[in-house]
Amino acid sequence: MLQLEKLILKLGGQTVLNNVSLQVEPKIHVIIGLNGSGKSSLLKVIAGIWQLDNGTVSINGRNISGLPPEDRRVGYVPQHQALFRNMSVEQNIRYCLRNKRGNEARIDGLISMLGLKDLLSKRPQTLSGGYQSRVSLARTLASEPEIMLLDEPLCDLDVSIKERLIPTFKAALISQSIPVIYVTHDAMEASLLGDSFSVMNTGVLSVVQSAEDAFNTIRKRIFNNNTNDRH
Amino acid sequence: MNRHLIALLFTPLLLLLIVYPVVALLSNLELAAVGKTLVDPFFWDSVVNTILSALAAAALGVVLAVGFGYCHLFLKHTLLYRLANFMNDLPIALPHTVAGLALLLAFGRNQFGFVGPTGLAFTLIAVVLAMFFVSYPLAARTVASGLDQMDRETIEVARTLGDTPTKAYLRIALPVLGEALFSGFLLAFARSLSEFAAVIMFGGNVPGSTQVLASYVFTKVEEGELAMAVTASAFCILLSLGLVIAIMIGRKRHVTT
Repeated sequence: MLQLEKLILKLGGQTVLNNVSLQVEPKIHVIIGLNGSGKSSLLKVIAGIWQLDNGTVSINGRNISGLPPEDRRVGYVPQHQALFRNMSVEQNIRYCLRNKRGNEARIDGLISMLGLKDLLSKRPQTLSGGYQSRVSLARTLASEPEIMLLDEPLCDLDVSIKERLIPTFKAALISQSIPVIYVTHDAMEASLLGDSFSVMNTGVLSVVQSAEDAFNTIRKRIFNNNTNDRH
Repeated sequence: MNRHLIALLFTPLLLLLIVYPVVALLSNLELAAVGKTLVDPFFWDSVVNTILSALAAAALGVVLAVGFGYCHLFLKHTLLYRLANFMNDLPIALPHTVAGLALLLAFGRNQFGFVGPTGLAFTLIAVVLAMFFVSYPLAARTVASGLDQMDRETIEVARTLGDTPTKAYLRIALPVLGEALFSGFLLAFARSLSEFAAVIMFGGNVPGSTQVLASYVFTKVEEGELAMAVTASAFCILLSLGLVIAIMIGRKRHVTT
């Protein structure tokens, strides 16, 4: 289980994360929010890329707050894939083996599951956006993380490609039986992927019942802000 | 016509201040002096000294620039980085005679007397160190700029896949910095080739030993052998042109990749 307790992050005098607390079971938890609401910052803090000002991050009772990213065993899929352009698809996926993580059998399984068998020798930049997303997911899952963080991994794709990819992504994530945080502002992605949901607004996280509730909350906030601006 | 007013003002100034002096120099070439210079062994010694020392200085500059790049990527908020960044700008602002004097006092006979009667001063090592001192900032700036252009998230992902900062830098950042390293090397090499003040202060101007092309030209002017100085200068221009073309090709490749 992933447990976040009273996380506070300040950047340039601004509070980016304000007392964020959350528990995520080995399921897919979707965080929905507008751009600049603090969703990506939350993932970077959990991954150890940014340092917290206060609060604790624990995985299965192990406090990882003070650890560098390489010691956290956190899988992170960023928004724009961030594939290693100077390596082949296969080298990207097997990258974790250099750090004695993952194993060959598991990686072969992931390659089959995500339909990447015929693309292993290609450079990632020659692939379509959809396949780049698959490679990015495979590369992260290969390292056997204890939790997964995905930051709008499908945001650059057309709706039709997304519709085809979401079941593949969901199957791959569920097969790991680990807590997953999936950040998006796409209603379809949220409702098709999520088991539980929360809304992020100006650094404050609130748990909601469904994806629909999340988007209703966001709509209300936008409406209220616009009304206040007019007055 | 008004649309090109700035170009119309710029062109004559460029011709007068940059092109005209070069043409003036080349128009003073004398065939007899060319022959005399080309058989002068001290000329060829200065050519070899210049090229070898500049290559060594540029290579050293790139090695240190790689170290600076690491600080630029991972230690940007530390005192070490701020100091390193400040020291990058210092050699650019410092008169190069001062740089030469500083090197002389740091590595001369008082501090480094154990390596020889003059310390490191007035040796080819001194020439390399003087060239390095003035050219390293160019290599460091080019590497830093290359790092700023790369996708930082690749480093972040590599860290979550188990890479320490050092491993991520060596495995992910350096391989994509190839063009920046090459450009940095060429710029540092070009700057080293043209260095005179720091070299003459610290390395001296011993014909056949520590004399470089720039100091060879200076010596020939002092000796009243202007035509030989013009020939050596024309050779310098040819060398610089070759380098400028190499840098342009390097930049073009960097843009297209």
